[in-house]
Order: sequence, then C-alpha cells, then structure tokens
Amino acid sequence: MTDTNTPAIACRNLWQVFGQGAEKALTEALSRSGDDADQAAADLRDAGFIPAVQDANFEVRDGELFVIMGLSGSGKSTLIRCISQLLPGTGGEIRVEGENVVGASKKALTDLRRKKLGMVFQHFGLFPHMTVAENVAYPLRVQGVGRKERLARAQEVISLVGLEGREDSFPRQLSGGQRQRVGIARSLAVNPDIWFLDEPFSALDPLIRRQLQDEFLRIQATLKKSIVFITHDIAEALKLADRIAIMRDGKIVQIGTPSDIVLRPVDDYVREFSKDVAKGQHAKVGSVMRDRGSETGPDDPGLTTAMTLDAALAHCMELYEPVPVRDDTGKVVGTVHPSDLAAALQVDET
Amino acid sequence: MTVLTDVPAQDSARLTAGAKAALITVIVGAVCLVLEGFAPWLIQWPAAWELPATQWVGNFLDWSLNAIKPFARLFSDVMAYPMNWANFVLSNTPWPILIGLVTALGWYLGGLPMAALGFLGLSFVLASGYWAESMNTLALVAVSVPVALILGGAIGILANEVPKVKSFVQAVLDVMQTVPTFAYLTPLLLLFGFGPVVGLIASAIYAAPPMARNVMLGLERVEPEIKEAAIMSGGTRFQQLFQVEIPAAATQIMVGVNQCLMAALSMVIIAAVIGGFNDIGWEVLLTMRKAQFGESLLAGLVIVVFAVVIDRMSGTLATERKRYDQKVVWAMLAFAAAFTAVFWARLPNPADLTLLDPVAQAVDNGLTTFTQNNGPWLDALKNNSLFYVLLPLRIGLDQAVLPFTWGFQWTAQMSYGLFVFGAVIALVFAWRGHLTGGLVALILIGMLETGVSNLPWPFVLTGAAALGWVAGGSRLAVLVVALLSTILVSGLWERALLSLYLSGAAVFFCAVFGGLIGLACAVWEPIWKIVRPICDMLQTIPLFVFLIPVLMVFQIGEFSAFLAICAYAIVPMIRYTRHGLVNTPDEMMEAAISSGATDWQIMRDVRAPYAAPTILLGLNQTILYAFAMLVIAALIGTTGLGQSIYLALGQADVGLGISAGAAMAILALVADRIVQGFAEERRQALGL
Repeated sequence: MTDTNTPAIACRNLWQVFGQGAEKALTEALSRSGDDADQAAADLRDAGFIPAVQDANFEVRDGELFVIMGLSGSGKSTLIRCISQLLPGTGGEIRVEGENVVGASKKALTDLRRKKLGMVFQHFGLFPHMTVAENVAYPLRVQGVGRKERLARAQEVISLVGLEGREDSFPRQLSGGQRQRVGIARSLAVNPDIWFLDEPFSALDPLIRRQLQDEFLRIQATLKKSIVFITHDIAEALKLADRIAIMRDGKIVQIGTPSDIVLRPVDDYVREFSKDVAKGQHAKVGSVMRDRGSETGPDDPGLTTAMTLDAALAHCMELYEPVPVRDDTGKVVGTVHPSDLAAALQVDET
Repeated sequence: MTVLTDVPAQDSARLTAGAKAALITVIVGAVCLVLEGFAPWLIQWPAAWELPATQWVGNFLDWSLNAIKPFARLFSDVMAYPMNWANFVLSNTPWPILIGLVTALGWYLGGLPMAALGFLGLSFVLASGYWAESMNTLALVAVSVPVALILGGAIGILANEVPKVKSFVQAVLDVMQTVPTFAYLTPLLLLFGFGPVVGLIASAIYAAPPMARNVMLGLERVEPEIKEAAIMSGGTRFQQLFQVEIPAAATQIMVGVNQCLMAALSMVIIAAVIGGFNDIGWEVLLTMRKAQFGESLLAGLVIVVFAVVIDRMSGTLATERKRYDQKVVWAMLAFAAAFTAVFWARLPNPADLTLLDPVAQAVDNGLTTFTQNNGPWLDALKNNSLFYVLLPLRIGLDQAVLPFTWGFQWTAQMSYGLFVFGAVIALVFAWRGHLTGGLVALILIGMLETGVSNLPWPFVLTGAAALGWVAGGSRLAVLVVALLSTILVSGLWERALLSLYLSGAAVFFCAVFGGLIGLACAVWEPIWKIVRPICDMLQTIPLFVFLIPVLMVFQIGEFSAFLAICAYAIVPMIRYTRHGLVNTPDEMMEAAISSGATDWQIMRDVRAPYAAPTILLGLNQTILYAFAMLVIAALIGTTGLGQSIYLALGQADVGLGISAGAAMAILALVADRIVQGFAEERRQALGL
C-alpha cells in the first residue's frame, strides 16, 4: 500500500474519442472552445467523432469502493478500459498510485498489470481451453511462476470465492454464477492493489446476483482493495458504493456518496434514477443530520450515522422533537429532527 | 445505398434507381441493335483495337519466372526429399498396419462410427486394387498439407497482428479463391518442370488460403473480453497470442484444417492433368481417356472414399471435444501388428487384388447395355436441351432457329415480332406499376434473340454497370466496367462471353431447381433428410470426379459439361435456400400465425422476404462454384476461357494461362460483388 495521501487512481481531464485522427481533432476542438468540454464534445460529434468519455475528473481513494454508474452507451465501459489502459485514452492523464500511465511503455504497462491490477469482466472472459485452476493461475503463469506454486496460490483464491472441488472443471461446465466466481478468483490471483470490475454481476440471475454482491462485500471487507466498479443498476451501485459517479453520454454528471445521489441529485437525469429506489433503504441518517449543539428533546431512540432513514424513522415514529445521533463509537455527533427524516424521503414527490 | 423497389403507378414520374438503370440498358441495347448493320465493331471488338496483353503478360512472366527459376528448382529438389520419404514410408508399410492406424485414429477422433468408416473405406481401397496409386496420392497430400498449414497459419497470424497487412491479405485471398485451379498450374509448370513436385506445390499453394482465412476469422472472433482478460493478466503479446487467443480459436482453426485437407486432396488429383506419376488422379484420367468407364468410376470412388474419410475425420476435430479411450487405440494397433506378423508371408500384394474388377467390368457392360437400350431417349434429352435451350441462349434465336432443328427458318420479321412482344410486355408491366420488371423482361427477350455470345459489348458493359450501380452505387459500377474492360481490350472477350453463357445457363438452372428443392426441403422435413446426405456427398467429392458419370452417359460435349457444372453448383443454392427459409425467427412466425395468415401467405410474406439475403448469398456461392467447375469441365469439352486455360497448360503458355485465368477471376469477382451488393442491400433493408 502507498501512503494514504496519494489517491489509488486519479483522472484529470480524461478524454476517449473514437475516429480517425481523434487526438488531433480533440486538441483542436479544445483550443477552439477555450477548454469548454461540452462545446468541444459537441464540435467533435458534429465532425463525426465519437467522444465516448468527455473530460472525466475523479479520484479513487486508497481502499475505496468507487462505483461508476450509467446506462448502456453512457461511456462507463470505455472509461474503465481507459483507466486499465485497454484503450489508450485520447487526452488527459491517469495516475495510478501517483504514476501517469497514459503513454507509458508497453513493458511498464505489462509490469503494472502483473503486479497491481486485476479485472473482472461482464461476460467473465474465461479462457475456454483451460480448467478453473489453470484460468485462475494464468496471471501467475505469464510471470513465469512455477506450476506447483501457482496452482497452490490458485487454490487459495478458489477457496476464497467458494469454488473448492471445481478446480478441474472447464468453464463450459459451470453455471453463470460459478463462472463469475472464477473470474473474480483470477483477478485476485496476483493480489492486486487495484481491482476493476466491469459490470461483473449484470449477466447473472437476480438471486445469484444478490448472493455474489454479498460475497463481494465480504471479500472486500477483508481485502480492502481500491476498486472501480461499473454497473448500470442503481440499486447495486447504492448497495455497494462508498462513492458513486453517474455518467451520461460520456460525461460524469455527479460524483457523491449514495446518500448524496439519492437525496441531492444535481439534475433530473440523476433524479430519474433515484426515483425507482426506496430512498429510505439507501440514504443514511448521517446525510440529513444537523450539527451538534442544536437542542434535543428528552428522548434518545439510539440513532447512529450509519443507520438508513427507514430504520431511523421506525425508531422515532412517535417523536416530535430533535433526537441525538451517535457515531460508531457511541459519541454524539449531531441531531436530527424526525420531520427531517420524513421530508428527506419525500424529496422526489415535489 | 439505393433501394430497389417497384414504383407505384401514381408517382412513376420519379424513377427508382432500378428503373433508371434498366431504362439506360434498354436504350443502349436498342441503339446497338439498330446500328448493328452499319457498325459491326459494336458486336465484335475489332482485332486491331486489341492490346496484346496476353503476350505482355506472357513475356513478363516468362522473364520473371526464369529469373527465380533456379531458386524454384532448388526448392523443388528440397521438397522432393520429404515427398520421396513419405512415399517410401506409405508404400512400404504393410497394408494391415495402415488400415489399423487409420481405424485407430478414427476411433480416437470419433468413436465407433469413425473407426468403422476408416476401416471400411480403406478396405474398399485395398479391394479396388488401387492401393499403390492411392498411397502415392496420399504421400503428396501428407507433404503438401503441413506446408499449407504452416503457410496459411503464418499468413493468418501475420494479418491478425499487423492491421495494415490485413486488408491486403484479405484481397489476395479473395482473388486466389476466384482464380481457377488450372491457372495456378501453368506458371508452376514453368517454374518447377513436370513431375509430382508441381502437384505438391500447387496443392500447398491452393490449400493455404482456407487455412489463412479460418485462422484470421477465428482470431477475430475470440471474444473481446477473453483478449482483454489475457492483457489484464499481464501477458506479453506473444503469450496472449499463443497461450490464449489461438487455443480459444481452436474450433475455427480446425475448420481451416479440414478445408485445407480437402483442398489439398482436390488439387493433388487435379494436378494429374499435367503429367501423371502413377497416382489415383492419373488413373482416373487415363481410364477416362480410354473410355474404360467402369475402371474410371472405380478409381473415382476410391477418391471419393478418401475425401469422405479425410473430411469426416478431420471434421470431428472442429466439432467434438470428446476424445475416445486410448486403450482401444493401442489394442487396434497391436492387433494390426499381430495380424501383419502372423500373416507376413501370406499377405497379398495389394496391386494384385482384383476383387472389384468384376464389378468394374459389370458396370462397363451394364453401362453399354444401358446406353444402347436408352439411347434414343438419352439422345433426345441431350439434343433437345442443346438445340432448344443451350444453343439459342448461346448464339441467339436468330441463328439457332433453323429448318434442320426447329423446322422453320428464323426471319427478320420474327425478330421484330419478338421485340414488339417484349415492348408490349414491358408496357403492361409499367402500366401496372412494375416498370423495372417490365424493362428487365424486355432486356431478357432481347438477349434471347441475340444470343449471349453475340451481345454487343457496349450493351454488356452498360448492363453490368447498371447492375453494379443498383447493387452497390457508382463505385461498384466503375469497378465493374474497369474490370470488364480489361477483358475486352485484351482480346479474350469472345471467350469470356462463351464462359459467361455456359456458367450463366448453369447458374440459372441451379437457381431455379436448387431454389425449388431448397423450398421443398424447408416445407417438408423428410425431403431434407434425403437431400442432405446427397448435398454433403456432392460437396465432399473432388471436382474432377463429377466428370466421370456425366461422361459415361452423355459423352464429351457441352451438355455433359453443363450437367457436371449443375451437379456441383446446385448444392449451395439448395442449402442456403433451405437455411434461410427454415431460420425465420419464431416470433415472426408466431406473429404471422396469430394474424391469421395461411401457410402459403406466411411463406410468401414472411419467410421468403426474411430469407432473401441468405438466398442471395447461396446464389453467390453457386456462381463461384459454377466458375470453378467450368474450368475443370474444359477437360470434357467446353469452349471459352476454361478451354483456353486448359490449352495453355498443354502448351506451357503462361501468358494465355494467366490472362485467361485472370479473366475468369474477373468474371467471378464481378458477379460476386454485384450479388453481394444486392444481398447487403436486402440485409440493410431488413435491419439485419
């Protein structure tokens, strides 16, 4: 792990434009518009280019689970491929643990991938001619790790994802959920610091999806990777994320915690997303509480910052006075008025 | 892209692209007809205007081939080693061992059915008495296939790795696919001299493209995520390619191996034409020339057996992952070895085996009796087809209708009458809103009057350009005219028209009957159960073998060639028509049924339109097949480019061989692009 001040990933003015001679076109469009990203993107579109990612700026902190959410065609898959350098990136910079990877040499990239990066794919991307164990051990094989050693390590990660006993199966003999477990195991084989997941659960049945989400959270709780997670499912994003970036037509329109997204959407597009989700289940008390110091009533129903609004409301249904809110350690950090809780839930009705 | 639709009557003021193209073609044709008497150069490109392109090509090739001849000869000397070695091994291995090996291989690849196929197949070869010849052929295949696999694989990988090379390789492969097989042989003959090595090299060159194609296709079709997973695993490009992408593409590459094997076998047999060396192809040719059709058929069957065994066994590589118990393999080999050891002294020399000679004799006799008994009927079929269909198509009604055949003499009045009739039809169609259809009918009637080989060249160029324009826009039209013009100025025009006529007639026949059979198969499953194995068989048989049965019944001549071409070229039409019709999405069918459509209405309104692009692709394949067979059919008497290529081979005339081959390739390419254009247009119209 690097020191905590350096973000795991930092993107500055990142562009990915498709089309012949995109790099030059981008530079020109930016200088014409005076670095106005929207104007430049419009220009590029008119000229027949496809600006799939426009001027993306964000940081993924060390150990953070950063979710990029958007509908299909919004550029989220392109964005993760830029960061992992599966696509070259047309402009801007990407720093992985402080080092710019745009324009890095092939060898440097290969090294980076061997040591620090792991990736999980929507349709698993398993090698059809290799067994589960061989698939999982492949990232070690390319580094020249001996057969015995790499299979032993593969065994560890296979156990971690709960696939013991299927080591010698071929991908075609597994169910979708099992296949994605293999994909997850493979991406963890080299114990990477940074973990990319490109819609890992989208191709799965709802039940299996929930099961894998829970296991994913369990694994992350022990491993504490820095994660970029792509999804088109707002519920999944809210459930997993520390922070969410919402993308639309190549642009990041909002970055914020799940509560921010649900309670303070920046525009109708984001609001439209959160409409379908039960806010009470995703927004946390911490996001609506007031500073400490305001007066509280006599009751203390025992609210904490990490409680969902629904749970909090259930605790103070009968109360009409502000109540104290505590953090994990039990220290009072703020107050909340029960009517605020109810009002927060009704934001979208107005 | 333009869309070909019938104009509704009310807005026929605005012509569709199709109608415009047809109209221009009609006008040019009419002008040519009127001026025919005054300007004979409209019909026949004057010799004085011809460029001696054939000679130029010949001189250039002679010069350049001579320059690399020493290297070529060196190469052929080198190649002679593995060939002689393979020959030695195969012909000196006792036959029980070889049969045991093939049976065991069959078991390993496909279990009992394949083992049985291998055993019965080779036993048949043994019984036929052509064992030694077969081993010679097999030795050639055994050496040429690895060369072709390595060559094709390397080309495929190179094209995959270097995007700039890709389109170039693709274009070269396209051209190689359309250049007729015989055309390869002439320059090779000059380079390597007569002898089996020419066949070997020709077959290696001929068999490499399918391998290259399939490697390219396979690598291209590896799921992007699998490629990305290999990158993200930190593999170097080399590791990605050889550890992930190639193994992941194995199925498609195995299809390439299968096609490569079949192409090599086919070419090795055809190469017998340039000088036999006691192989099975030579045997067929020899017996055919001596009119020993029984033996010829027997030798042909040996080829078919090899083709089927090789095809089905290598086919399992591409389909099944399952491999069978190796113990059985060892048991089979042990049994073969034991059998050989025990009966060593008493093993008959395969050359002395004449078990099937009586059969061949009986076939010969039976054939003679058959042709004698059915002579009048067969002759009538042949003559009627020739005089009433093929000949008018070739030289036109105005020359083909003679008192001798039709019972009356064609007169100028009749021509006028026919044209008036055509014009009336066109008007009726136009009045009912189908202007394009009417004009096309008029054009076809005009062509029937004139005959394909007498068509004025401005008319042919305009017509082809019009088709190209409708199918693929002005770029295709320009390409078509440019390509055809090279044939025109190089003095091969007449021959090209003759080739066009025969292949055109065959394609038309195949389109109509193949389409009908395909329709029948799609409508009624049991028919497909019968037709399918026949199609499989026809596609496995090397081209050469098609000539034997038609020759047996109809002797040498254009009609036999026509039949051989049809027999070979009809298969894709049947397959694609059925495939297109059967694969209508269930939802569409259900929507039609729930709308209350009858079976016939569903066929006409839903299934046929949906299948149109697929059927067009079938037609495209049929055209390419017809051209390929046309050249082979030159062996039994056709005129035109095929004949020229064959003659050039006999005289080692590289200029003529290559030019005629190129002309042939141009015709095929033009037809291919136009039909593909229509298919693409249909696909886009359907949103596929």
